[in-house]
Amino acid sequence: MNVRKIVTVVDEVLTEGGRPVEPAARVAVVAAVIENPWSGQGFVEDLAPGIDAHASDLGALLAPRVMEALGAAPEAFGKAAVVGLDGEIEHGSALIHTLKFGDHFRTAASATTLLPAVEKRGPAGVLFDIPLKHVTDATIRSHHQSFEVRLPDAPHPGEIVIALAAAAQGRPQQRLAALSTEQ
Amino acid sequence: MTVELERPLASLEDAPALPATWLRRIVVHREEVLLENGGAPAVPAVQASVAAVVRNPWVGTPATRDLAPEVEAMAPRLAVELTDRLLHALGGVDAVEAFGKGAVVGTRGEIEHGGALIHTPWFGNLVREFLGGQSIICFADARADAGESLVVPMWHKVAAATRSHYQTVSARVPDGPRADEIVVVVAGSTGPRPHARIGDRSTDPTVTAATAATAATAASARRTSTDREDPRP
Repeated sequence: MNVRKIVTVVDEVLTEGGRPVEPAARVAVVAAVIENPWSGQGFVEDLAPGIDAHASDLGALLAPRVMEALGAAPEAFGKAAVVGLDGEIEHGSALIHTLKFGDHFRTAASATTLLPAVEKRGPAGVLFDIPLKHVTDATIRSHHQSFEVRLPDAPHPGEIVIALAAAAQGRPQQRLAALSTEQ
Repeated sequence: MTVELERPLASLEDAPALPATWLRRIVVHREEVLLENGGAPAVPAVQASVAAVVRNPWVGTPATRDLAPEVEAMAPRLAVELTDRLLHALGGVDAVEAFGKGAVVGTRGEIEHGGALIHTPWFGNLVREFLGGQSIICFADARADAGESLVVPMWHKVAAATRSHYQTVSARVPDGPRADEIVVVVAGSTGPRPHARIGDRSTDPTVTAATAATAATAASARRTSTDREDPRP
């Protein structure tokens, strides 16, 4: 797998709604910019060999890095695949919608839920929002959040950006009634 | 990565009080290039920018207003917060080879307000000291809406004219600066561009308009003699 670069973003929110957030709300994202394994091959019917060759390696590359970048136990998590303009969204989905990819992060984060995801196609510098949900119960409303990312120079037309996101807490100043109160 | 920082911070504890909400958000962006044009960099380098969103204390004040009191209160705190995170992202003072800084002012402020936070000794001298540099710190600034990317220039922290280290890194806060905010940035790099190969002052020929004209004439003659073939592979 050809990885061109790895980008790490760590976000701290110290104030929200005009009030201090203590401790600061932390979100971390690690993104790998990789060569699209199916680039230049026309329509590839069977994506399984490429998935088997790369998905686990990507999960193993990104999971420890996002854990380290967050520096805390993740309470919410998510993932992203942003495909360059010459590829199919299916190529990005192929690499992230497999347990081979996500299990590395689930294990590291002691998580039990599936990772929510964004998949899209766009030019270098495209904005994408990674959805995050609670790592053990995707119905926990306080932890529904998303994180906006932009890589200035990726993905190129023949590349894919694969990313993991982790949050150390729910939304800053979260104060919505739980789902159970409406049931 | 944990980096131990040794600094005389005690004096900052006595700095003028700031509102509890003076600092809203801090975004660290770190980039590690593994491949460029198909090859691994001969000298691997990590780049990072750290962007802090602060309330602009001068919104609504006249253009004659003295900016110094707030500069003295805010700029040293910003220098600490930003360089702390930059050093953690890059692996410590000794790892940092190039640096830069920047400001994005929200639309109700003046560019001068951003300059006040990054161009005085209350920020620049401290950033230079904390990053172990000697050079003037190069910079970019802009007034913009939230979400604007700032391309921050960097050069070598002790030898600014080191051409291999001329480089940039982006900084961006998705929802900042709001109209009454300022984004303040410090950036650094642990090495040169991925495949730096454009010489340096020590290897440059002397180039003047006259020598450039002579070179152009010679290149034109070469093109004629090779039937105008495109020399590219």
